[in-house]
Amino acid sequence: MSDGLIIDQLKKNQILDLLKEGKRVDGRQFDEPRKLTIDIGVIPKAEGSARARLGDTEVVAGVKVQPERPFPDTGDKGMLICTAEILPIAHPSAETGPPQPPVVELARVTDRGIRESGMLDMKQLVLEKDKSVIGVFCDNAVTDHDGNLFDACSYASTAAINSCKIPKYEMQDEKPVKIEGEFIEPPITTLPVSVTMAKIGGFILVDPTIEEWGIMDARITITSNSDGNVVALQKGGSDGFTQEELIKCAELSVKVGSKIREIIKQSK
Amino acid sequence: MSGERKRHVIPGEVITSGSYRAEQNTIQVGDNIVSTIVGLSDIHDGSVRVIPLTGGYMPKDDDLVIGKIASHSSLSWTADINSCYVGMLPASDVFGRDYSSSSDDMTAKLAKGDLIAARIVNADMTRDPLITISGRELGKIDSGELVKISPNKVPRLIGKRGSMIQMIESSTNSQVTIGQNGLLVVSSEDPNGLLKAIQAIELIEEQAHVANLTDQVNEMLESKSE
Amino acid sequence: MGGRDTDIVLLDENGIRSDGRKVNETRKVTIKAGVLKNANGSAYIEFGDNKILVGVYGPRDVHPKHMSDTDTGILRCRYHMAPFSVGERKNPAPSRREVEISKVIKEALEPAVMLKEFPRTAVDVYMEVLQADGGTRCAALTGASVALADAGIPMRDLVAGCAAGKAADAVILDVNNEEDQAGQADLPIGYMPNLKKITLLQLDGVLTPEEYKQCIEIGIEGCNQVYEIQKKALQDKFFASGEKQ
Repeated sequence: MSDGLIIDQLKKNQILDLLKEGKRVDGRQFDEPRKLTIDIGVIPKAEGSARARLGDTEVVAGVKVQPERPFPDTGDKGMLICTAEILPIAHPSAETGPPQPPVVELARVTDRGIRESGMLDMKQLVLEKDKSVIGVFCDNAVTDHDGNLFDACSYASTAAINSCKIPKYEMQDEKPVKIEGEFIEPPITTLPVSVTMAKIGGFILVDPTIEEWGIMDARITITSNSDGNVVALQKGGSDGFTQEELIKCAELSVKVGSKIREIIKQSK
Repeated sequence: MSGERKRHVIPGEVITSGSYRAEQNTIQVGDNIVSTIVGLSDIHDGSVRVIPLTGGYMPKDDDLVIGKIASHSSLSWTADINSCYVGMLPASDVFGRDYSSSSDDMTAKLAKGDLIAARIVNADMTRDPLITISGRELGKIDSGELVKISPNKVPRLIGKRGSMIQMIESSTNSQVTIGQNGLLVVSSEDPNGLLKAIQAIELIEEQAHVANLTDQVNEMLESKSE
Repeated sequence: MGGRDTDIVLLDENGIRSDGRKVNETRKVTIKAGVLKNANGSAYIEFGDNKILVGVYGPRDVHPKHMSDTDTGILRCRYHMAPFSVGERKNPAPSRREVEISKVIKEALEPAVMLKEFPRTAVDVYMEVLQADGGTRCAALTGASVALADAGIPMRDLVAGCAAGKAADAVILDVNNEEDQAGQADLPIGYMPNLKKITLLQLDGVLTPEEYKQCIEIGIEGCNQVYEIQKKALQDKFFASGEKQ
């Protein structure tokens, strides 16, 4: 998926003219995200799942839980890995094959947003220190691309992990054995929610559509947790932000994020 | 037997059998005439065709299309005609047979992004289809908003003997140039009228299959704009 | 192919299978056409517990150009399983199994798709398995046909998929995951219902000549049932809500 979407100059001027009048192409306010719907449990056989629809962008996140050997330097913590890929069905320019830099960035930003927030208390996901821990994998599949995949993946992941069921494992003969039919609630400490803002002609717009994304000068994705603290940040695009803009963006992200958090909570 | 009731068909379905000519979107399989797409079968004067309800635009000779200039070489322009095939407009079509010119002349006449009303001259798909803009009502379109609809909704937009499109034009004070390829140009002196016309077109695209579409569009046009 | 020891009773004394079906019964199949915004055509299929999303783009330009054919369009298919679709998480990178299935499905669709109508272009079919429970290739093929019709790609016929097989010494229709693991044979079939031609056929397991005949017969019967669901999906999207004209 190329980040350099070609939007013609005519369209760019049209969008800028509208912005100068305080309007966006789809009629939203500058600080208004698109309609978000979240359905959990869409993949019943996975340990957790959620489908997030943000406007016409759609992402399916599936959570798989299985015993793993811990990382060498964190034998007292479980494992949490989030990934993301843009499926070729999602957009005419989506490619198959090894992920291009924008997709790698999407996956890593999604992963950091969930991990750095401490959403799951990894210390509670240990079966035997240094030998066996619980690995939680949250894989995001973008099925329809209409811009702002960062936020769609963030919401799908948070909703899927928040509603997952962790199977109960017991160590028997040095090996982890699943106890069929028994589960533990995931040790959730907070609900991270990202908000992405695009800067176009000096205006800051929350939740850009694919058209706005194609003409933006710069963007920033800010993830906040349930306490209103900022837990992850990613700036992208070829232009820069001023100090004032960055502070405004953080405030916006916490404000908008808290409303989105409510939607995620309702989905469980 | 002609005038047989139109039927909904899907690919592979037998429409009829016997000595008929298999025309658009049908094939002959043994004695049967079979549909190759999702659509409405139409038997008329001993020939069978299927009116498509889906699919992109496939260039056909003599179709009036709206195109957007994409690029040019020293001998021709290429135009996006909303198809997997690109329209080729030879420079000689605009400059005349003895044309020989520099790149400047080309862009002065037609630049990237310009909209044109053109006709398909030769839709042989082993090469890009040839188009022409010399003819009545053809040529560069100076103003207006480009709107895209699904090509098979175009007949619905035009309506019986043009009734639907005329209703929209008169009630919104706008002019709509319709391409068979699903691209349209809408222009109006009145920006509100322009918006209303575009909304009406979008409504038709969405609800083309509904029986009381004309009433819905009428209602929409008559309501006050917010 | 399984033959694994299992506690599960694949076929009880009343001829009832582990999921309550009779030997000649398919699982429940539902299909919805036109579910994605960007793809030219799409379909979502649930075949038992299989959940598969198919998107079609095309006919469209081919890149790199040298891969295009001046005489005909080309068909490209990708069958892919999401990491969360199976019991043990699967690496997102394509496996050899997925590569093979992609090819087999492409060759099942090629007899149906009228590619010569679009020289120099490609039709891309992308099948994403979101949840797998045995028989995914037949389900993916079934969904792909509907997505192609939804995109308006001309076809001589639809292609319907359904597997036959053998478990507990009996010939059965529509093998689910358990039966695939522990059973004796699995025969996926792709079939054009109007032209009456089989375009996908594979076998994993051992069948006597008589059982092989029975499997093909019962498999075609299953494909015909699946075809009715494909028809319904297209009718629901294009022909519902009021008679046109």
